Amino acid sequence: MATETDDFAPATAVTPTDGLLVVAGLARRFGGVQALDGCSFAVEEGTITALIGPNGAGKTTLVNVVAGAIRPDSGRVYFAGQDITARPSHQIALRGLIRTFQLSREYPQLTVLENLMVSPQRQVGERLSVALLRPGRYRAQERAYLERAVQILDDFGLYGQRDEYAKNLSGGQKRLLELARAVMAGPRLLILDEPMAGINPALVDRLSAHMLRLRAEMSITFLMVEHNLDVVERLCDHVVVMAVGRTLATGTMAELRQNASVVTAYLTGGVADVRAES
Amino acid sequence: MGVVIGYIATLGVYFCIYNIFAFGLNIQFGYTGILDFTVITFMAVGGYLAGVAALGPEQPGTDIYYVLGLSLPWPVALLIGAAAAGAVGYLIGLIALRRLRSDYLAIVTLAAGSIVYGIVGNDTRLFDGFEGLVGVPQPLSGVLNLNPNDYTVVFLALCAVIMAVCWFLANRLYKSPLGRTMRAIREDLEVAEAYGKRTFRVRMSAMVIGSIYVGIGGVLTIWFVTSLAPAGWGTGETFVVWAALIVGGRGNNLGAVVGSFLVAVLFNEATRFLPAISSLPNLIPEIRNICIGGLVILTLWFRPQGVVAERKARFFVVPLQHGTVAGSAAAEVAVSGD
Repeated sequence: MATETDDFAPATAVTPTDGLLVVAGLARRFGGVQALDGCSFAVEEGTITALIGPNGAGKTTLVNVVAGAIRPDSGRVYFAGQDITARPSHQIALRGLIRTFQLSREYPQLTVLENLMVSPQRQVGERLSVALLRPGRYRAQERAYLERAVQILDDFGLYGQRDEYAKNLSGGQKRLLELARAVMAGPRLLILDEPMAGINPALVDRLSAHMLRLRAEMSITFLMVEHNLDVVERLCDHVVVMAVGRTLATGTMAELRQNASVVTAYLTGGVADVRAES
Repeated sequence: MGVVIGYIATLGVYFCIYNIFAFGLNIQFGYTGILDFTVITFMAVGGYLAGVAALGPEQPGTDIYYVLGLSLPWPVALLIGAAAAGAVGYLIGLIALRRLRSDYLAIVTLAAGSIVYGIVGNDTRLFDGFEGLVGVPQPLSGVLNLNPNDYTVVFLALCAVIMAVCWFLANRLYKSPLGRTMRAIREDLEVAEAYGKRTFRVRMSAMVIGSIYVGIGGVLTIWFVTSLAPAGWGTGETFVVWAALIVGGRGNNLGAVVGSFLVAVLFNEATRFLPAISSLPNLIPEIRNICIGGLVILTLWFRPQGVVAERKARFFVVPLQHGTVAGSAAAEVAVSGD
């Protein structure tokens, strides 16, 4: 565990019920790189929590472990009080934890509307017997999904592009589609991996507004990996700082600004400092 | 006259059979992105099993050996052939689909096909080795007692009906939510998994359904030719089916039909009827392969999506309904705010 002893020392002993998502002592090594080294924190329900830290801090690895894409060497992940450590991705998604990827990963050769229509889980028409022999049984559900999908597309300003192949959207539209597609899945927790990277300030504002709206309307909890501290300050209730695979500190942005080790870690990479202190 | 009709009906039969092969590969590759490089193995499995199900018990002293020999009626033989191809598809899928992605998966299918080929060719007790099965009874031929040309027309009708059913079901699958999920998996397996799709299971479904399709084509083949030996299902035959799908347009059953017509009928089968030059017996098959290869290259160069491109999914038009759909009161605010 990190032995940071500032005022904002990470909670070293988290319990499964500390939040909607609880990460306890996760460790993962890739060859000679200890990407995660005892990382622990909790994401409380109803918050927009930021995960910040220098490049190489292990943020994306953490997202991958939480979402079931990578197995941890040790440590646990709890979602809604249940242990989901190392469960297959699709099982985690079915519980309501949806993640987006660092780069936009739309389904390029499907239309925008189809990208959304894939999202609902356990569709009646995904059963082989229904798909082949009883198509009438999924029509009503399909129509309900369709109504919801066009509504969500309209909310995100993508209604006009609904029949376009997703690969033909602009970079910014793909970001919106990524979020719209995730919303269509009806998640409880949405993990966004650098949703604001490489997009213009106006779109940053729009995405932020969408996140606040989704939290209010659909009670979605967010965990977002983000480098833009202005965005974090404006949007996030709670911030988790990672460095060299550990939780360096947690708190509000205002609190963290007072924390010397956070400033060091973020501005300089802070690897040597943290290692020296541990 | 009867000869001309028989000739056209023969081409029609091959057209139907290749359509079914191409539908099967389309479900695997075009819908789901599975690089099945051993399509023809499923044809062989379907054909052999239907053959030994329909043949009588092996006769001692004839030096022809095969398993089963159940003398079953042809519809049962068809089911057995299709099920056997599906079962082999499942077994190969177990190895290839669980952990592997595209290119490694392709190698595994190729290797599995070679293993099946080696076993069937060398273990003469199964299907008489490289000699192959001969004299497989044709459906209804004993009842109808027609001359060969007339029988070919009847057989064409049977093939056309089976092909139509296969086409209908393949289209239904494509349009269904399951087909949509298959295409999402084709586009990005990892993302589909992250959205709660059981990708292994869905890909296995596509693998097995595709194998059953190709197996049905194999059953029709052995019925039509009445014999089947390893020389007839070498690895090269797999790529005729691939060529048909790539030229016609993957992800699209109409494309599979167009491709089967261009590659399998026009180039592959029609050239069989060209006059042979006795000093160069291999000339015509080689010309055929050159033509098919050239056609694939031209397609990939000038029209990579195929002659008939995959069409966009169309949904019935749903007007935006402010105020009636759940949550749309807020949506209305968002719209007017934009």
